[in-house]
Amino acid sequence: MNNKKSIKFYVALWLAKLSCKVLKLLKRNATSFPGDLAIRICPNFLGILEKPETIIGVTGTNGKTTVSNMINDILTENGYDLVNNKYGSNIDRGITTTLINAANLRGQTKKKLAVLEIDERSANKVYPYLTPKYLICTNIFRDSLMRNGHTEFIADVLDKYIPKETIMVENADDLICSHIAENNKKIYFGIDKLDTDTKDFENKTRDIIVCPKCYSKLEYDYVRYHHIGKAHCPNCDYKTPDADYLATKLDLDNMKMTVKTPTGEEIYTLITNNIINIYNILAVIALLKEFGLSYEQINTSLAKLKIVETRFSDETYNGIRIVTHLAKGMNPIACSRAFDYTRKEPGNKAAIVIVDDLHEEKFGSENTSWQYDTDYEFLNDASIKQVIVAGPRYLDSKVRLLMAGVPNEKIVCKKDEIEATRGLNLDNIDSVFILHDLYSIEETKNIKNTVKQLIDEKGNK
Amino acid sequence: MKIEVLFPEVANLYGDLSNIEYLKKCLNNDVEIIETSLNDEPAFVKQDDINLIFMAGMTEKSQEIVIKKLKPYADRIDELVSKNQPILLLGNAMEILGKFIENEDESQIRAVGLYHFYAHRDMMHRYSGYYLGKHKDIEIVGFKAQFTTTYGNNDECYFSETELGMGINISTKYEGVQKNNLIGTCILGPILILNPLFTKELLKTMGVENPKLAFEEEVMAAYNERLKKFKKMAEKEQKENKKNSKKY
Repeated sequence: MNNKKSIKFYVALWLAKLSCKVLKLLKRNATSFPGDLAIRICPNFLGILEKPETIIGVTGTNGKTTVSNMINDILTENGYDLVNNKYGSNIDRGITTTLINAANLRGQTKKKLAVLEIDERSANKVYPYLTPKYLICTNIFRDSLMRNGHTEFIADVLDKYIPKETIMVENADDLICSHIAENNKKIYFGIDKLDTDTKDFENKTRDIIVCPKCYSKLEYDYVRYHHIGKAHCPNCDYKTPDADYLATKLDLDNMKMTVKTPTGEEIYTLITNNIINIYNILAVIALLKEFGLSYEQINTSLAKLKIVETRFSDETYNGIRIVTHLAKGMNPIACSRAFDYTRKEPGNKAAIVIVDDLHEEKFGSENTSWQYDTDYEFLNDASIKQVIVAGPRYLDSKVRLLMAGVPNEKIVCKKDEIEATRGLNLDNIDSVFILHDLYSIEETKNIKNTVKQLIDEKGNK
Repeated sequence: MKIEVLFPEVANLYGDLSNIEYLKKCLNNDVEIIETSLNDEPAFVKQDDINLIFMAGMTEKSQEIVIKKLKPYADRIDELVSKNQPILLLGNAMEILGKFIENEDESQIRAVGLYHFYAHRDMMHRYSGYYLGKHKDIEIVGFKAQFTTTYGNNDECYFSETELGMGINISTKYEGVQKNNLIGTCILGPILILNPLFTKELLKTMGVENPKLAFEEEVMAAYNERLKKFKKMAEKEQKENKKNSKKY
């Protein structure tokens, strides 16, 4: 591929930079268009554009944004000057826009370090032009069936396009993730057996049941959730790898985590008790230790972090706990984890489930197949006294809840989110969980305000 | 009542197995579910009293394993089809019984070979869409999401005539395959939950005299709502097609 700066490249760069300025003046989102424009004018633009010396990439199905944000915050606090796509999209155009912003008019980069969240499906459009020094792969699960198909496809795309020189930081407890880019140098992170691990499979789906090498049924030493756990093939050498960074003890009472690292045992502060975010923190620790930060640098900054509010928030309002938890619609694993977290939290709960992709409505109807890969059964729990479903596919959600065994009398089902929320019965309820889609942040705020109003009204009575 | 689910350890994508859970509920759990794994001999090889053989969609590598597994039973499957055995194949499971599956580089994987259809893979261009069509006098709603497209003339043996979306490929309005009681369709996901009227028909074909649906009221409400939306979309699509054809 010819990566010499051509006239076409400069035209693309300057027009893209100009479009950034114009969009900003118009107060419009300039996170994707400039990159898109540059690629349209000069298809190998991303390959020609000079890039920071060190690129840290973050990919995988779930947790990319959380992990990228944590790495950005910790590195920034420790004095690193970096470029990131925190406010941009994670596909080729968004990444290009981010790097255009970090470049001067000659296409030379002004930064030495980049932290980039990279969409796993866009591997074919990103890695031919950009080689991360480190690439975290958080996990690989089934995701949007319309876009991603299945995990075998995503793993194949990653395998094909991840550069050989990239050092992979992978989740050892995820058999699919831990076998991506087999010939690259690898660093694994994982969590040792927990008391809550089981021998049985509780989830609707498991993306790897048979050995991909010899098609024998895999044997699990223990299961954490879905295909996360420790497993091996009884007929060949396919197995869960040993973790280089292994969380050996989770002390949730004191919010501490002991991690066995290549240089010894270290105790880190936990900022969450949610297992999916503990995995995210562990990925961050493994990456930053390999990058060269000390335990003190990482832990001091880590202790100050918060999971972004649009992903998770927890507050007590007039004696009732209100939790908002991202449950990405069309992503069965993200929703199942949110449902599982809800049922396992203490006390009596009401769950407000707004997981429809509201924006899909204008195209007709969302493909609801994912609902049947999602563990709605977790909402059929004695501690969950009421389940409120709303959104354009509210009738499908009701059927799904009935299929999961949730009694009809526990279900409130309305199209309008606020009208549905008004059906909340706070009698004997300790917590209200609002489980929401990525694209319903505004609606979630309104629902939360309505819940607060209902708490006030109850208090006044 | 017996239902054989073929290879659920690999044929389990897109919520397809929920169809079996729904049938179980419709039959008040009075049904034996035989889950045949890749290491087992399929129950249909020796048993003649299976009411439904079901296979869901799977990954492309799994398709190749399943083809190897089913090839030795091609004659038996053919015999069962001619004896009106109810068989339901969803998503890309249908392609397994066809002639071959073609990769992007034009290399071919010989399939079980019962029918003249073949499939073409295009892994980097996934088709996703909504579906509305007519199976006899029953309106079928559903979703498609696929890496492959099927080719071959199905004018005389289709499952459903398309009103919205595409048939087995973009140039035909005929969706899926039906031969006696074998139905293969590219529609995926909870097709039986989405289509209560079709489910009743299937239950009758399976030998249930007066089929009762689980959660009939709620399932019908969701079906009618979707039908309304999809009909509007179909009208819009037809208008656009007319406009485009006038242009040329």
